[in-house]
Amino acid sequence: MASNKKYWKSVEELKENSLVVDTLKNNEFVEEIPTDDFLGDKENLEASSTTRRDFLKYVGFTTAAASLAACEGPVVKSIPYVIKPDDIIPGVAEYYATTMADGFDFANILVKVREGRPIKIEPNKEANGSTNARVQASVLSLYDSLRLKGPKANGEATSWDKANEEIIAKLNDVKTAGLPIAILTGTCASPSTKKIVNQFSETFGNVSHVVYDAVSESAALDAFETAYGFRALPDYNFEKAEAIVSIGADFLGDWQGGGFDAGYAKGRVPSKGKMSYHMHIESNMTLSGANADKRVMVKPSKQITALARLYSVLSGGAVTMEFTPLTQAIDIAAKKLQEAGSKAVVVTGIQDEKAQLLALAINKLLNSEVIDTVATKNVRHGNDATVKQLITDMNAGKIGAVIINNANPVYSLPNSTEFVEGLKKVKLSVAFSMQDNETANAVQYALATPHYLESWGDVVIKKGHYSLMQPTIKPLFDTRQFQDTLLTWTGSTASYYDFIKEFWTAEVLNGTSWNQALHDGIFTTEVVEEAESTFDFSTVMKGMEIPKTGDLELSLYIKTGMGDGQMANNPWLQEFPDPISRTSWDNYLTMSKADAAELGVMNENVANGALNGSLVELTVNGVSEVLPVLIQPGQAKGSLGLSVGYGRTQGLKEEMQTGKNAFKFYKDFNTTQTEVSVKVVGGVHEFACVQLHNTLMGRGDIIKETTLEDFNSKDSKEWNKVPMVSMDHKEVEATSVDLWESFDRSIGHHFNLSIDLNACTGCGACVIACHAENNVPVVGKQEIRKSRDMHWLRIDRYYSHEEDFAADNEKKEAGTGVMGYKDTMAELEDPSENPSVAFQPVMCQHCNHAPCETVCPVAATSHGRQGQNQMAYNRCVGTRYCANNCPYKVRRFNWFKYPENSEFDYYMNDDLGRMVLNPDVTVRSRGVMEKCSMCIQMTQATILKAKKEGRPVNTNEFETACSNACSTGAMVFGDINHKEDTVASLTEDKRAYHLLEHVGTKPNVVYHVKVRNTQEA
Amino acid sequence: MSSHYEAPIRRPLIVGDKSYHDITVEVAAPVEGKANKLWWTAFTIALVAFLWGLGSIIYTIGTGIGVWGLNKTVGWAWDITNFVWWVGIGHAGTLISAVLLLFRQKWRMGINRSAEAMTIFSVVQAGLFPVIHMGRVWDAHFVLPIPNQFGSLWTNFNSPLLWDVFAISTYLSVSLVFWWTGLLPDFAMLRDRAVKPFQKKIYSLLSFGWTGRAKDWQRFEEVSLVLAGLATPLVLSVHTIVSFDFATSVIPGWHTTIFPPYFVAGAVFSGFAMVNTLLIIMRKVSNLEAYITKQHIELMNIVIMITGSIVGCAYITELFIAWYSGVEYEQYAFLNRATGPYWWAYLLMMSCNVFSPQFMWSKKLRQSITFSFIISIVVNIGMWFERFVIIVTSLHRDYLPSSWTMFSPTFVDIGIYVGTIGFFFVLFLLYARTFPVIAQAEVKSILKSSGENFKKLRDGNHE
Repeated sequence: MASNKKYWKSVEELKENSLVVDTLKNNEFVEEIPTDDFLGDKENLEASSTTRRDFLKYVGFTTAAASLAACEGPVVKSIPYVIKPDDIIPGVAEYYATTMADGFDFANILVKVREGRPIKIEPNKEANGSTNARVQASVLSLYDSLRLKGPKANGEATSWDKANEEIIAKLNDVKTAGLPIAILTGTCASPSTKKIVNQFSETFGNVSHVVYDAVSESAALDAFETAYGFRALPDYNFEKAEAIVSIGADFLGDWQGGGFDAGYAKGRVPSKGKMSYHMHIESNMTLSGANADKRVMVKPSKQITALARLYSVLSGGAVTMEFTPLTQAIDIAAKKLQEAGSKAVVVTGIQDEKAQLLALAINKLLNSEVIDTVATKNVRHGNDATVKQLITDMNAGKIGAVIINNANPVYSLPNSTEFVEGLKKVKLSVAFSMQDNETANAVQYALATPHYLESWGDVVIKKGHYSLMQPTIKPLFDTRQFQDTLLTWTGSTASYYDFIKEFWTAEVLNGTSWNQALHDGIFTTEVVEEAESTFDFSTVMKGMEIPKTGDLELSLYIKTGMGDGQMANNPWLQEFPDPISRTSWDNYLTMSKADAAELGVMNENVANGALNGSLVELTVNGVSEVLPVLIQPGQAKGSLGLSVGYGRTQGLKEEMQTGKNAFKFYKDFNTTQTEVSVKVVGGVHEFACVQLHNTLMGRGDIIKETTLEDFNSKDSKEWNKVPMVSMDHKEVEATSVDLWESFDRSIGHHFNLSIDLNACTGCGACVIACHAENNVPVVGKQEIRKSRDMHWLRIDRYYSHEEDFAADNEKKEAGTGVMGYKDTMAELEDPSENPSVAFQPVMCQHCNHAPCETVCPVAATSHGRQGQNQMAYNRCVGTRYCANNCPYKVRRFNWFKYPENSEFDYYMNDDLGRMVLNPDVTVRSRGVMEKCSMCIQMTQATILKAKKEGRPVNTNEFETACSNACSTGAMVFGDINHKEDTVASLTEDKRAYHLLEHVGTKPNVVYHVKVRNTQEA
Repeated sequence: MSSHYEAPIRRPLIVGDKSYHDITVEVAAPVEGKANKLWWTAFTIALVAFLWGLGSIIYTIGTGIGVWGLNKTVGWAWDITNFVWWVGIGHAGTLISAVLLLFRQKWRMGINRSAEAMTIFSVVQAGLFPVIHMGRVWDAHFVLPIPNQFGSLWTNFNSPLLWDVFAISTYLSVSLVFWWTGLLPDFAMLRDRAVKPFQKKIYSLLSFGWTGRAKDWQRFEEVSLVLAGLATPLVLSVHTIVSFDFATSVIPGWHTTIFPPYFVAGAVFSGFAMVNTLLIIMRKVSNLEAYITKQHIELMNIVIMITGSIVGCAYITELFIAWYSGVEYEQYAFLNRATGPYWWAYLLMMSCNVFSPQFMWSKKLRQSITFSFIISIVVNIGMWFERFVIIVTSLHRDYLPSSWTMFSPTFVDIGIYVGTIGFFFVLFLLYARTFPVIAQAEVKSILKSSGENFKKLRDGNHE
């Protein structure tokens, strides 16, 4: 709308018929523009050296120049070393031995540091260290952009000096008031920290140290304390085991702190005709159950009866607890255990002191060599009773101050509201935290602590096993260690570094070098048995009660990727597909097919294949939550599974706020809950599942399997059949037929990767190691749903349709006629109720006759002289023909620009997160294909190192990220032209086969037939 | 050739009492007259579709191939389906003008101009897809063997995709030259009739200075014959090479030796259907019923029926061979094609391509213009689904069940496809208003032998 406002320009306008106004109205310019004077002056114009054409040139040039100058070139922030630090050589990686101990995961590790940045975690093999997926991923949590970056008081940023001053004052108040101070920490297993805590309690008096584990092993600790007199967890060396019976103990997962897979796998590889026998009795499908020779499904509450029965059978006592379906299984278990004698072991995950005692008693009865009650483990120390007491006391106003370190009770306590109420009643509440998490936001003072890669520390993971933690980078933020601050509060001026060095010199090292210990990351001492147990094991059955059962029972479990949830803001772990469900970015209620059918709960695939699941409301002891259901083969009927670690809401990006918090169902710190009901609420949930088809469809040549019996008695041709093809009308082995003339591969290096399906437990450490080494992008939940995961290495998990895969193969063969075949194949799509499970790590097979190489129009993928199939990213135009023609479907396409794109706000979108990138590996751009390179940057580095040192490459010196991370020894990498390399003999092993051999691709990745010890008689 | 005697039982190819001048006037009429409302409506719709497609293409190139529905398992879907579909459609033009020329089939003269135009326009659409389906379009020149300073950096001559580059570009250039050669006398005709100087200028440029001397005509005949000889093998080779994209791979369902003949038959099948679609409309709109007669439509329908049956045989053979091979992966691929999650696509393909052309056995149906039009559309729907079935159902469940997944298109996939249809019709509609849509010079050559009135006259003399 036009404005009616009138603007007065001069007083003259008030007058009517003013001359001035009229003149102005008619002329825009008051004064004549002297164009004529200017242009009419021909003489002057002609005399000017600037002609019209020149003028236009100038105008053109200046316009072009101005617009060019306006285009800003990209700014690359790189700072040269004006004075090069002595210990940093650009391009050369440094390794530091240190220890991870975050209260949940404990590991001796090596940290790869490039140009001052820790970029990768490797197991410290000299310290017998092994890493799981979370340990591997922990390096990314260092570069978490949402870390607590400095101390905060009541939510406001403050300074350390001010915070310390205020806290000390308050502590003194509390001291004068005579109220107790509670220090609530996660399991720290650090002797020096314990000493500092003691000093602290000497200073302030009346200090109690409460140890709290988010996922408690209190029952096992209590049982062990009852039996052996001190609070610790026994160690188990499964390598020695010939018979393993587990009742609800996911020992390949995180049962009692985990880390048992290496020993277990050694016993699983058949050697000299023998391998261990593993029976697993459980309700949820776990990693351990999936690896077992015989898996028995049973509801959680029945497990204790199974254990009792086993004890009764073994001890020859009266079998008092009858439980029919398990009778046969228990009898087999007992027989197997007795046969193995002292080489047998029984483990249980039942969260009940009596059950744990029973297991200890059985092992004692068997005189098991597998269990080690002397060199015990310290990875869990939490005590449920003291935690409960603390909360009660806090609410009763009996506690003066609470100091929390390395724990997030506000998130992980089942009764977290009570805890928060209690916090309000104490005079002083302090949380030491790396993250701005739920607890840090609920206390008065949130004190920022450094990541373990920025910290000093010591850990006794196992008795006699002293490990050191050292910083690998200067603290990125204004953080101080818990120990340093505690020292300050006690009035000490010493730094924790000085303290720890002094402490070790005085109490640990026994005169040996501190530098050496720091270099090794570990110092071991002899462990002497403390007083022999005087506990009378024969009394364990006394007072045994049949536990309460429910129509539905809930079993809380720990997901391999997420652990207790403290690394929930780690995109690698969020996108890590669960080894069993292959679902990422979520937790969900696992339910058996039978229960799902009864409730009318559905799992279905939408048009693009993505998985959707019905929503239900789960109510446990009156606490409810709406959860999606994933129908899980192998889930015992009447039982439900739900993983903890999800549902965090504070201190993490929106994308990472996935799943629901299951800790609220963790009543009395018991993973088994029997007061459970489920109600369908309608609606569906979108899952991000990377494997949408669960069965092997009777394709026995993909995962070859045999039984120990056949393996021992029959020729390898029978159980490791080479596919036959017709050549000149004769049946010949497919491997002998070749379309191409091969060149001489015996010269130089020829890399092979061997994967033993017997040793692989499916743990997924390799998946994350590959992520870290090769800068694999994270794509997020929605992209995973579109089947666009970028993992270079995946671990396929297959379920059998029949009870095992051999029966699947037979079923497929038996289908006759077109309709019979159709029906059989349709049936084979459904997994069995209690399936046999197989894991198969699949990465680029580096085919010597690669289908991808022939089809690329621009030769962007071609074969290396050392056996690798290589990708030249710069050359790739992105036709995706190679991916289509790959029989293994290992090629991954960059559908979008993943780095520096706010649509993919994961670690590659901020400067801090990008610090984790491996400078040796290109970050791929949009539109190019990528895939496993067999870590060519690592093999080349090894070759160059040897060359520089003027020596041949050592035996087994070549490694890839996956083979390095594999703690079970399933993945072995090396040069097959170097006959001493382990891989050279492995490729010629009679169990060796290539994936899809009949296609004729001649891969450089070799698998080993899975042998199952199924003999029960 | 013009005064050859033609048997009276052959139906006339030019209906009505036409003189040479009538032909000139009627062919020139759409060019010289004004566009009617219908044309403008059609053109607007086509243009909007084209712009939508263009927008989708720009969005794809700006954001990434991820805006399509593809995934790690199904790396091609609508893109290559559309590519093969358009190339296939492009086959009819060359077949009509070159192969039928060599076989002296005079009925081609009424339709070859538009069939060739259709070929060129559809090859343009087809050519778009291999370019835009690349993740990095800006590096598309990498697929050309351009000498460079990087030593041995060269294209991979083993790759069928590279063969495609050569096949399509050769096909496009030969078709274009062939088309233009035929257009020269007709452009000259338009030039001579033009009254506005601008039009005269343009058409004289387009006619390359055609004067109509005897020498011109002699050279014209020779070049046509030579080009027909060159183009004939291309009819077979182009789709053979396109089929190699699949046939040389290792994916069950793709790795099939039957593909080359099967693809060529399918291409001719879909091409003829498209010619029918276009001409049935054009003969009506541009008043060319005298030149594109029922007889033409019927003959085309016979070709559709035969090629449809060949395609049907190929489908059955594939199934048989899959079973006969005894290879479980092969067997499953075809079982899954027919009964898996994409069974509906297979059923559509089977019913549209194998079942529907069988109606053409009935003389009544194949002479019905409406029915022919419907079948021509149905066939092209079927042929689109054939390519979709081959590409997507083979990929989505191949060797390792762990990677099995599904494909579902996004609005961008659909946008680009609809956009190419729009683009095609934009070109074709412009062509219909500016080009002589019937090879009038050639048609005139058969007026005396196959024109209805002349036939009557002659037959009358014989009595």
